[in-house]
Amino acid sequence: MNRVFAIARAVVSDAIRRRIVWVVALFALVLAAVIPMLPSYGVGVAGAVYREIALAMTYVAAMIVTLVLSVARIPGEIERRTLYSVLARDVRRWEYVLGTWMGIALTLGAAMVAFGAIIFGVGWVVYSVPMWLLWQGVLAIWMEAAVLAALCVAISTVAIPVIVAVGALAFLFVAHVRADLLGGPENPLWYVYPSLDAFNIIAPVSHGSGVSPAYLAMMALVFTGWVAALVLLGALGFSRRDL
Amino acid sequence: MGEMTNTPAIRIEGAQKRYGKAGGFTAVSDVSLTVTAGSIHGLLGPNGAGKTTTLKMLLGLVRPSGGTFEILGEPAGPAVRARVGFLPEQPYFSPLLTATELLMLHGRLSGMAPADVSARAGELLARVGLEGRGTARLGTFSRGMLQRVGIAQALVASPEVVVLDEPASGLDPVGQRDVRNIMMSLAEGGTTVLLSSHQLSEVEAVCDEVTILNRGIVAAEGAIDDLLNVAGRTSIRARGDAPALPADVQSLMEDVAVSGGVWVFSVPDSAVRAVVDILDDNGWAIEAVVPKRQSLEEYFAHMLEQPHDADAAKGVA
Repeated sequence: MNRVFAIARAVVSDAIRRRIVWVVALFALVLAAVIPMLPSYGVGVAGAVYREIALAMTYVAAMIVTLVLSVARIPGEIERRTLYSVLARDVRRWEYVLGTWMGIALTLGAAMVAFGAIIFGVGWVVYSVPMWLLWQGVLAIWMEAAVLAALCVAISTVAIPVIVAVGALAFLFVAHVRADLLGGPENPLWYVYPSLDAFNIIAPVSHGSGVSPAYLAMMALVFTGWVAALVLLGALGFSRRDL
Repeated sequence: MGEMTNTPAIRIEGAQKRYGKAGGFTAVSDVSLTVTAGSIHGLLGPNGAGKTTTLKMLLGLVRPSGGTFEILGEPAGPAVRARVGFLPEQPYFSPLLTATELLMLHGRLSGMAPADVSARAGELLARVGLEGRGTARLGTFSRGMLQRVGIAQALVASPEVVVLDEPASGLDPVGQRDVRNIMMSLAEGGTTVLLSSHQLSEVEAVCDEVTILNRGIVAAEGAIDDLLNVAGRTSIRARGDAPALPADVQSLMEDVAVSGGVWVFSVPDSAVRAVVDILDDNGWAIEAVVPKRQSLEEYFAHMLEQPHDADAAKGVA
């Protein structure tokens, strides 16, 4: 695993120096600061509305950063031949794919901590209440972003960035319309449909009391399954590719 | 040169690479080569000859359509590649990483401890002429500097075999000399160097033996002098004020070039003594008498004129 960590570390070093990550973070900070000024606040629900908008904003920012970091990562390295000297060493293709995903996921994790700290801090300052539940939402968003990164990495082992981006956006759309398409669990396709709904906990975090530890564990299980399947798929695709 | 062993450092037998199915493009038809341990072996050929594809197959970057590949006596899989350093042609590295970070990455990929890589990075950057540039981002490096840091990454894990694909590309004459010196010092230390290039001067200066590829096959192999010397002819360089060489010499000479009163031409070996005497008697100064050698460009041009089949091409050597 040392080689995987070395690749992940290099990906993090590279990714955190991309201006776009910091631009999005700054944008998030500005947006978080102006959320409390929105006029549609009712008495008693201001905190809930803040949480909902803050998490929705964090979700959008996370998806943008994910696409920026992962869509062109491997195609760019192939085109610029930066990975020749890496893969000519004692490095397996699957290690490269896993390390790349891990680096992107770690960078996203750092970005999510920063976003989370911003919306948590603003919420605490404005409403004088520490909104700890926000961190559940941030965790779920990070998991979904990391799954999306795994998808991008997997597709990008065999496709150009445009196709990766289109595929990722299509996946995001499809993965969130299960209930609209299939109705409910009584539909036999419900359990095999590629859904990311498990990570959508904005409503219980914003308007309820969050999700239970058991639900968080289930979410982690879904996350692990998605990532394992996609990274495996990416490794298989990449292992057959001529560079 | 370094200590030789019986096991070749690199052995390639019948390498083939076809892209696409029937009727597709064949990049490498049939390449076999053996690189002696501790030697500097040149892999020469015009663009499109199959040099880079052969190297990529050896290093696992391209899946071969056929053939066997061995490094240090073992099948050329990932495990043995830990003992190999590789400089790709026109290397490009992430512009956001620093030179030291790049070397740290490659050192750690090779299983080195961070402290060891750190020490090695400083030493290597000095060796390739980048002392004090370790914290500079690679995006600020010139083409030549990237080439130098690429050489450093190839050497970071003290490999037993180094594969260099056009290492002098993008370097000024001083840089090219530095690269030559590095290759020679590697060989003196027992490291095997496989140098892919289309620059004769680079190869000629350092290589013990060469393999020449053309159209995806081995066109010739052996010592460079044996390949490029033209049998039976000698090159003469003479200086004189006369507008033309003596008539007796003109009837024997070929490949004539004249510049500023200096004449260079070739004559049959059997006529050398007579030609030198004639020139001397007519007041010409003899500046050089050397075996006639064709340039690599001439050699390639000659090869390209050969019938397009493996047997005929191998006959060139």
